[in-house]
Amino acid sequence: MPKVSVIIPTHSRPQLLSRAVESARTAGTNVEIIVVDDASTGDTAKVCRELKGVKHVRLELNQGVAGARNIGILASSADYIAFLDDDDLRLPGSLDLQVEALVNNNSAGFVCGAMLMADQEGRLTGEALLPNHYGDVFWPLLELDFPVMPISVVVRRECFTRVGLFNASLPGIDDWDILVRIAELYPVVVLDKPVSIYRKPTPFSEQGSSAQAQHLSRAARHQLSLLCLPRARTARTSRTREVRRRALKRIADTLLLNAAQAIRDRAYKFACANSLAALRLHPLRVLRPAGYLKLASMLWTDRHAKHAPPVRSLS
Amino acid sequence: MSTVSVIITSHSRPHLLPRAIESAQAAGKDVEVVVVDDASTDETAEVCRKLSGIIYLRLERNQKVAGARNVGIINSSGNYITFLDDDDTRLAGSLDLQLEALDSAPGAGLIYGQALIADQVGQSTGNSYPRHCPQGDVFWELLCRNFIPCGTVVFRRSCLFRTGLLDQSVPGIDDWDLWIRIASLYSVIALEKPLMIWRKSSPISGQGTSRADELVRMSTHHHRRKWLELPRATEGAESSRREARRCFSKNMASHLAFETARAAMSGHFLQAQRNAFIALRLHPWGSARVIASFSTLRFLLASLKGQ
Repeated sequence: MPKVSVIIPTHSRPQLLSRAVESARTAGTNVEIIVVDDASTGDTAKVCRELKGVKHVRLELNQGVAGARNIGILASSADYIAFLDDDDLRLPGSLDLQVEALVNNNSAGFVCGAMLMADQEGRLTGEALLPNHYGDVFWPLLELDFPVMPISVVVRRECFTRVGLFNASLPGIDDWDILVRIAELYPVVVLDKPVSIYRKPTPFSEQGSSAQAQHLSRAARHQLSLLCLPRARTARTSRTREVRRRALKRIADTLLLNAAQAIRDRAYKFACANSLAALRLHPLRVLRPAGYLKLASMLWTDRHAKHAPPVRSLS
Repeated sequence: MSTVSVIITSHSRPHLLPRAIESAQAAGKDVEVVVVDDASTDETAEVCRKLSGIIYLRLERNQKVAGARNVGIINSSGNYITFLDDDDTRLAGSLDLQLEALDSAPGAGLIYGQALIADQVGQSTGNSYPRHCPQGDVFWELLCRNFIPCGTVVFRRSCLFRTGLLDQSVPGIDDWDLWIRIASLYSVIALEKPLMIWRKSSPISGQGTSRADELVRMSTHHHRRKWLELPRATEGAESSRREARRCFSKNMASHLAFETARAAMSGHFLQAQRNAFIALRLHPWGSARVIASFSTLRFLLASLKGQ
């Protein structure tokens, strides 16, 4: 099995790190684990030093997740590169599965799989994000209609040489940006099997994704520059317009759902930020009464899902 | 002696590239030349394929200089890294001199030197920059002005693992930004002799550095938000921070005042006006004085010509 490098950026959150590293180790037979400590304060440096069989890179100046991932790529030596966040997990054998898929598909740029959702304590919630498109995913990905995260992909190293590295000036959406740029040039292999476990952020968790309203607004803005990529520019205008319209709708819906969940959890500031962002991006969508009915039904089913027993505990 | 990787970024200028590559190969004994073709739309690829002994990388989508240099870095293997622009040339043997000096100073992260300034066609004008090369802990001096010519720098690869890669969000000052981050953690040494020939841009040359007003606006923002927020700067005394801010805006203003005069003399009045406006906002008294003195000079010259 060819070697795969797993890049784990971490910032001042040592308590979950060793669990993530262990999960990466069991995910493949030939794995190089690179932990990039992004100028953490506190115990993180000590925890990193105690990890065995891990390449540890310590940034003295904070670079953000994108900058840390780039440094991880610099430190890595494999032809296949995977990413993991310090609070998420890889499933056993998943890396072998994905690398094999890339080896068998010479032209593919990256391979992605399904993700399982877990709550803050690491218990599976029973939800999963399943990829819904195959092969050429450029348009669905640009439309934000393709669930993929760095933790669910393995990328061929050569892609970074052709499209460039993570863009550090796009915090929160740097992963989406680079995957769109790769999907523009390469076909993508999609596996139906779950490959990783994502710890869902809540308004109170100190995860980067708690600033989701900001990130989604940024995504809406950045989509305009992604629509200037040659592949999108040469497409029919009606198509790009449709993609733009659907993406804005989807972002507004997500923001509203976040807001509604936040009101249920009594995180009013978070709810306010989300609904304001939605209002700004797509006023018509937000002010339409049918939207609220749909929202209420979604929350209702969500509550039922919450009462379902967790599949299994992770910790 | 260890390998040094020379990273040459190029965008649609195939006529200049071979000269830069040859100069890099002649600058040291153990040189790895990495050419990053930043999505050129012309015959750059064919020109590079004909050259032997280089690593040729092609970006399909334009990433600007910083992004292209980063891609060059991740594909290079030398323990030392240096950048070269496609329109500049290295002097023969200059890399070996620098490596020797850097090897004998284990605590230093970076070594730089002087650049011979050339005109648009590559003829040396006889001037070199900087006249005097500050050494040691140059962090605060670098916060004032960038006295390090990008092509003369050789730094250790290990620095990057502590400072991070080049920042793509500040095109035009991405090199300055990296020198500041390196200088905040390492000492800096210099060779006070010319190491390269540097083709200066003019307002009409179409090089990236032409839009002076945008560059200054971006640098000012970056100075306040990033450089003065580095751990080294926040640990420093408030007085040194204030001094760095003052000195920086003074330099930016005088640079802009000079650019104003240059643009006005070559007939780019809109550009001149834009520059003057920002210069006046940054450092009102100083730039007013410079602009006034330039206009007087020009007026005198014009009246002399008229007679």
